[in-house]
Amino acid sequence: MHVLEVRDMTRRFAGMTHPAVDSVSFRVEPGEIFGLLGPSGCGKTTTLRMIAGFESPDNGTVLIREREVVSLPPERRNVGFVFQDYALFPHLSVLRNVMFAMRGTPARLREKRAAELLRMVGLTRVDQRMPDELSGGQQQRVAIARALGADPQLLLMDEPFSNLDVALRDATRREVRALLKEQGLNAILVTHDQEEALSFCDRLAVMNAGKIEQVGTPEEVYHHPRTAFVAQFLGRSNLFEGEADGEIARTSMGALSIRPAAHGRVLLSLRPEHIVLTKGCGGELEGEVVAREFRGHDLTYRVRYEDRSIIAHTEYTHSFYPGQRVRLMAREPAVVLRDMNGSAALVPGEAHG
Amino acid sequence: MTDALSAARPLPAEHDRPPWYLLVAPAAVAVVMLVPLVYLVVRATEADAATLASLVLRRRNLELLGNTLLLTGGVVGATTLIALPLAWLVVRTDVPAARVVTFLGVLPLSVPGYVMAFALLSLGGNHGFLAGVFGIVVARPSGYWGALAALTLYCFPYVFLNVRAALAGMDPSLEESARSMGYGHGGVLYRVILPHLAPALFSGWLIVAIYVLGDFGAIALMRYEVFSYAIYTQYSGAFDRTYAAWLSLMLLALAMVPVLLEGRLLRSAKYARTGTGVARSLRRIRLRAWKIPALVFIALIAAGAIGLPFGMLAYWLSLRPPWGELGRVGQAFLASAGAAAPAAICTVLVAIPIAYLRVRHPSPLSRTAERLVYVGYALPPLSLALAMVFFSLRLLRPLYQSLPLLIVAYVISFLALAIGPIRSALLQAPRRLEEAARSLGLSPLPAFARTVLPLLRRGVLASVGLVFVIAMKELPIAFLLAPTGYVTLSVAVFSRTSEAMHVEAAPYAAAIVLFSSLFVGLLLRHEGKE
Amino acid sequence: MVFSPVLRRRIATLMLLTLAALPLLAAGRAEPGAAEPVQRELTIYSGRGESLVAPLVESFESETGIRVSIRYAGTAELAVLLAEEGARTPADLFWAQDAGALGALAGAGLLAPLPQHLYDNLPDIYRSTTGQWLATSGRARVLAYSPGRVDEAEYPESVFDLVAPEYRGRVGWAPTNGSFQAFVTAMRVVHGDEATGDWLRAMQANDVQAYRNNTTQVEAIAAGEIDFALVNNYYLLRFTANDPDYPVAQRFFSNDDIGNLVNIAGIGVLSASRRTDEALEFAQFLLSSEAQAYFTGTVYEYPVLANVEPDERLESFQTLLDSSPQVDLDALEDLEGTLSLLREAGLL
Repeated sequence: MHVLEVRDMTRRFAGMTHPAVDSVSFRVEPGEIFGLLGPSGCGKTTTLRMIAGFESPDNGTVLIREREVVSLPPERRNVGFVFQDYALFPHLSVLRNVMFAMRGTPARLREKRAAELLRMVGLTRVDQRMPDELSGGQQQRVAIARALGADPQLLLMDEPFSNLDVALRDATRREVRALLKEQGLNAILVTHDQEEALSFCDRLAVMNAGKIEQVGTPEEVYHHPRTAFVAQFLGRSNLFEGEADGEIARTSMGALSIRPAAHGRVLLSLRPEHIVLTKGCGGELEGEVVAREFRGHDLTYRVRYEDRSIIAHTEYTHSFYPGQRVRLMAREPAVVLRDMNGSAALVPGEAHG
Repeated sequence: MTDALSAARPLPAEHDRPPWYLLVAPAAVAVVMLVPLVYLVVRATEADAATLASLVLRRRNLELLGNTLLLTGGVVGATTLIALPLAWLVVRTDVPAARVVTFLGVLPLSVPGYVMAFALLSLGGNHGFLAGVFGIVVARPSGYWGALAALTLYCFPYVFLNVRAALAGMDPSLEESARSMGYGHGGVLYRVILPHLAPALFSGWLIVAIYVLGDFGAIALMRYEVFSYAIYTQYSGAFDRTYAAWLSLMLLALAMVPVLLEGRLLRSAKYARTGTGVARSLRRIRLRAWKIPALVFIALIAAGAIGLPFGMLAYWLSLRPPWGELGRVGQAFLASAGAAAPAAICTVLVAIPIAYLRVRHPSPLSRTAERLVYVGYALPPLSLALAMVFFSLRLLRPLYQSLPLLIVAYVISFLALAIGPIRSALLQAPRRLEEAARSLGLSPLPAFARTVLPLLRRGVLASVGLVFVIAMKELPIAFLLAPTGYVTLSVAVFSRTSEAMHVEAAPYAAAIVLFSSLFVGLLLRHEGKE
Repeated sequence: MVFSPVLRRRIATLMLLTLAALPLLAAGRAEPGAAEPVQRELTIYSGRGESLVAPLVESFESETGIRVSIRYAGTAELAVLLAEEGARTPADLFWAQDAGALGALAGAGLLAPLPQHLYDNLPDIYRSTTGQWLATSGRARVLAYSPGRVDEAEYPESVFDLVAPEYRGRVGWAPTNGSFQAFVTAMRVVHGDEATGDWLRAMQANDVQAYRNNTTQVEAIAAGEIDFALVNNYYLLRFTANDPDYPVAQRFFSNDDIGNLVNIAGIGVLSASRRTDEALEFAQFLLSSEAQAYFTGTVYEYPVLANVEPDERLESFQTLLDSSPQVDLDALEDLEGTLSLLREAGLL
């Protein structure tokens, strides 16, 4: 049984030429944390709001535990929602904010349960404070505790970590993930942060311009991007054209192995970390380092060869400097990208890194 | 990061259908507001074309219209010059006794217009207060400036209340970010605060402008001739309803100009905080050396708007101590409060769904409902009361001259006063709070009641207070629609001043002022933290 | 005092509930008592003030046992209300501040003819020839002036003299006021529209000052804004009753001048009334010498009965009859004509 199934959901806003959400379909499996990843304006928040019932789709259906919910108001869908700005009730204390949600719990048990939830999200001694007396991280935890208070079948989180500073964000993310897993809760996370999506979610959907371009585990979408957009949005990537013939393609980098097998002109993606740089001249392909970016655990180089440039990551032990000549070599097959129709035909456009 | 586009833009109605019960109030308002319109049209069609032309299409109307516009513009400007600094001082600075100053800023509302005008008039002249006490003979205020002064002194609280609420609800980070971009106090004022206050200013101006358009009392005492002269004369001089209906419709058309203008200006206004988390409270500016001029400014306004009328009443009371009258005054107070209090509560109960619909479910219907509210306010009260007479005698005979009908008429007349503060408060309550409550399992009504309503408290209290205070001193509607024998304070005042017995009227006028100010004081106490 | 938010909210709620309950309290008071089968009732619309009317009504109630409900309002508002109510009116009797309002209602057929015995012994100036209303008290138009700034030589003979240059800017009037408009109507009846129009325009050319009503004109003389005013006789007396040194005096023009018009406050019985007997009893009561003495003593108006002495501050009954012009008060009905004349002169 799926926890959630979204089928062909579409939503148009007045005065806009393209739908904000365009035939979106996906499923969330039991126990899964699902991510909706995409740039600003891609329709991911609207998708989430339609699942919650704050907005209605023009087309399509939403099933929660195989029950059609499109016609249900938000309060009857049994989903929790964590807002980007938390939307804590400013006139209620922290404890009362959490108790607010516990309509199913007998009144006498609510206070105890709310206090438990607050402890569970790691908050102590703030029960009687008002929301405006809390830090951002504390407000965020209260919001999660409140959402959990209603015992939701599904927790929807709209950029819940984006208002936290970087140090706090990583720690909170880990704690919230641990909490969700411990409680066996299903959740959907909306985010524009690819690192967050990759580390937090069990599976994720990458959205662009109202459409889902790819659904898969973090590894799948990262290593096997289906489209140019996915390849570029999830980390950096080198895109270039080639003439495929089976598992080999002829490209400006010479003959590369590709996957899956294809024929004809194709667009290929090669991650920077899949390129090996070695010192010296000769070999199939030679270029010149034009930029160097030290990133602690590794190094990023921009290398020019012929009239093109490419980016590559190397381990910290491999140190090159601008002006140096290096040899380039792919250590993984390049990924054949598809257009939105699923064919491997070439997407016209500049290849850039 | 949100999908800013989808979160911020007003949603088209077909996707965001409000629950049916929200439509009851606007539908009722639409119907009820049509009552006086239908009545006026019925009466207007009885007109004879030639007489009508000589009455409506005459040059003098243009003169009166010019005077009216001049006065309206002047009062709008002058009330702003008083209300804006006063509100700023109270909300954003460490001015001493801010609550007392707030109280003083609202109090003039409780002063009946004729008391204010009389007080101003009795200052100057050979036989006036200044001549009697200091031997200084100053010309009595009259004409344009007299009318401007009298109207400004008791109208500025409308603007003050609106601006104060908006200032208090403003996100401090807006100002702070402007400061960080290099704007000084002045720059912040012009580029951030004033634009942000625009909606509050507009609705305050609208209330004041329509009030001035329709006012007759103060203007007549100050001998400045405006358009409402013509209407009043038509009723009072000729006991004529036909041509008065034409003039009322003309006045209504005039009043609807600023209403439509405001709607246009405010259509794109957004004032909900877009920042994150819960709003921080405001940091007050330290006045330091400016404290003295600030206090002088406050003292001058208090002297004019409160000292004058209160002094006038005290003088009258001292001429004949009111002890023997107290029983009657108490009875008249009960009558007044018995109409004004339920009117205030009912008005607010109707105003909340209309404002809510307008803010949360914007659509042509909700916009129209909100505009129609001003019809009741802009109608000359005598015309409105006659319309209620006309309809209730034909359709609701048992309700005729009953308290409920009087209250309905008050709701129609004062709804516009109640909408403003509630709408502003609603605009500052983020929609996400309700969504959060909905996602926690509450249906729309409880979600609203438990999350938004508590945040509206300030607005609701302001509306209740406004309507109560205005209804306490209302006269023409009570004349015609109160139950026979139901003598309110204002009727008691009138029925003495009409016989030139100002001294005898004073205890009743004082009771209006006293009880209204007590009520305002209580409301301010319960408004919660600044 | 510091209240917790919860407590504060409770107090606010309590306050609102109390206020909401007020109408019940007040309604309890306004409600007529338990219905007794023989209770006689009377509903009056009174344009005259409560402080004048209430004591009279109390003694009427105790004398007759009739329970009286009164609606107090402006005479004009009540006249319009009665016109709007028409045959559906709950009122039995209308007590107006001026003849114009009564004339207008009589003209619209809303007043019932009164039995002749009621007004038989009233002088002509105090009754309607059609018998649909009668006067309960008289008030004369007079010239109020400042004794300090006006010397005897300046007393005008006639209201028409006020257009002379020596009065330039010194005279006040109240063009929107009912009693002034009644005076203009009388001038039209006696002197014709043309002469009246000429006078209005000449007065304006002479910089006459417009005020709202009689009271404000008297005050304007005291304040030094004007030296003369065209007013009703009793306003000044109400000022001097509180302040004997009030710096304003008043006098008649010469005998029969239109400026001395006697207007009235009076009553009419509504033709829709089903309590005509009670209404007539009240009318009879107002014409009793007790009520007449009360009028003149309390509000300084002229009694309508020759056998009641006017208050000592008023002229004698005979002086009033001598100085007042002969004008049929029924002829004062043409208010619309007066209004359009005033409009043509640019006064409204």
